[in-house]
Amino acid sequence: MQRLKAFPKAKLTAVLEMMIQKATVWVPSMIAGVSRFAPYRPGTDIQMGTNTAISPKEALFPSTEKIYKFSAYGIDGDFEPVDPSVGPQILFGLRSCDMQGILCLDDVFLTRGYVDDFYGSKREATTLITLGCVTPGADCFCASMGVNPAEHDASDAQMYDLGDAYGIIARSVKGEALVKDLMAAGLLSDTDKSQGPTADFVLKVDSEGITEKLQQMFDHPLWDELSRKCLNCGTCAYLCPTCHCFDIAEKKRNQHCGVKIKCWDTCMFSEYALMAGGHNPRPSKKERVRQRFMHKLRYFPERYGKLQCTGCGRCIAKCPVNLEITDVIKLAGEAKSDG
Amino acid sequence: MVEQKINPVATLSDVKRINPLIPMKAKVTRIIDETADVKTFCIAKEEAGRFTAPFRTAPGQLAMLSLPGVGEAMFSATDAPEHLQLSIKKVGVLTDALHEICPGQTVGVRGPYGNGFPMDEYKGKNILFIGGGIGLAPVRSVVRYCVDHRDDFGQLHLIYGSRSPADLVFKYDLFDTWPAVRDFKVSVTVDRGDDQWKGNVGFVPAFIEQLRPDPENTVCILCGPPIMIKFTLGILDKLGFTPENVITTLEMRMKCGIGKCGRCNIGSCFVCLDGPVFSLAQLKTMPNEY
Repeated sequence: MQRLKAFPKAKLTAVLEMMIQKATVWVPSMIAGVSRFAPYRPGTDIQMGTNTAISPKEALFPSTEKIYKFSAYGIDGDFEPVDPSVGPQILFGLRSCDMQGILCLDDVFLTRGYVDDFYGSKREATTLITLGCVTPGADCFCASMGVNPAEHDASDAQMYDLGDAYGIIARSVKGEALVKDLMAAGLLSDTDKSQGPTADFVLKVDSEGITEKLQQMFDHPLWDELSRKCLNCGTCAYLCPTCHCFDIAEKKRNQHCGVKIKCWDTCMFSEYALMAGGHNPRPSKKERVRQRFMHKLRYFPERYGKLQCTGCGRCIAKCPVNLEITDVIKLAGEAKSDG
Repeated sequence: MVEQKINPVATLSDVKRINPLIPMKAKVTRIIDETADVKTFCIAKEEAGRFTAPFRTAPGQLAMLSLPGVGEAMFSATDAPEHLQLSIKKVGVLTDALHEICPGQTVGVRGPYGNGFPMDEYKGKNILFIGGGIGLAPVRSVVRYCVDHRDDFGQLHLIYGSRSPADLVFKYDLFDTWPAVRDFKVSVTVDRGDDQWKGNVGFVPAFIEQLRPDPENTVCILCGPPIMIKFTLGILDKLGFTPENVITTLEMRMKCGIGKCGRCNIGSCFVCLDGPVFSLAQLKTMPNEY
């Protein structure tokens, strides 16, 4: 068997400096007091120790993105497409939960008859490098959602935490090219070490059978109870690595022209499903909270065959009223069906 | 898992453009005043001095109409070779603006979206159309198909109602075109009549009960306001129509039209992709949230 290649943690900057010669490299970093993935530049405050507060989905699905320009002069007008493509990019140090999140986004944006080019072109240009987790955070529960924190086999290359070094193996053609470049630069050496076991999770929940259980709970009083404290602030959706809902809105430059933008949106907002004429199929917090959890745990699995929660724990960490998805799973699991 | 009995990729063959989110430039070639608050917009693209439909639509499919600088929204489309017809009621910001435009206006249009009615499955059957208010717009796309393929279907019967005689849409079809078609019975009612109105006065569900359409070998296509649908379903059930043979269209707010933006879901279905056409049997398997 081929031995694992590795580079010392002290050489991380040298590795990134080499990578940015060929691609934009998104790394977990601290920016204005918030940890998020951002393009690496010399001097970037890199945060490899814990996962970021904001999910890396913005590298593939930006919070706001121009989709076309328009102009309107009286009865005349025009539409001009915007090129959705980006140059080659690397998502470096992605955790298993966020890799799983990208698989959920792939299902939405790349399957079922239509491809969203704005996502697709970025996904195509991106090399995904995952990093094994050995010390889960206090809000992490990926193992409870069927995700393996130690590694994820859907990435292009997997890094392992070896204490004072990072091990790396390629999993795809893109990953092999990258490892080859690192070898050629003399940055990798053989190692006999392997990643230690992942520490126990503080947060655990039994999600077995949750989809089938929720199929019997649309009219359950649990939703009244759960939604009472929700503020419909949408923080959960904006931090979530799998939330894919978006709005298409207009941004006028002046009286005559502007751009159409695709921007993040959430089912938590009261106007989300509000129709012209005033009808709203989800008029109160109860319907909106139910929609969020039903979508994650029932509708998405029904449509795409996988849970839409990856256990990253961001919504738990930042929810202002502690409305936690792990509690929802637990309470739904314990509740009597059919309300 | 709940069986959905829905074909989620019915529109796959209709994808003709590279990017389904970018509208194509088109012009409004004609505007027909239907009522005080409903206009029909004919939309065509100009190529070498000739106007043709920007794309063809199957009965029940949808088109996203965009007025640059104002916004875009999804409407039920009626197909024709020379243009796309969208009948639009004035209910909000975009539709208010659309009601102000003149022929010649540049608009953006994208589509077609949605599954449409499975017309092949209705071959050889009688068709009962039931419409209320602007709900006649999606019904009309099917009626026109049936009239164009008259020999494929048995008896046709349309039951239509609106608030008042002034609110009846497509009067030229209701009173001229369709009654002249072979074996096509057209029954019209209004909630409140006026001095000139000689037809039936009363709500649609009561009118259906009075007319007692025969469910034998018949598919019912039903579109209208939710309150009408609710009471009509009860009557149809009493008359012996099975849930598999009652077909309707749903409306939800939509942004992308291709099942990505998340907005129009009902349970695990997206109305823009898996709908807007659903049988009552399918609706019964979905959460009641529309």
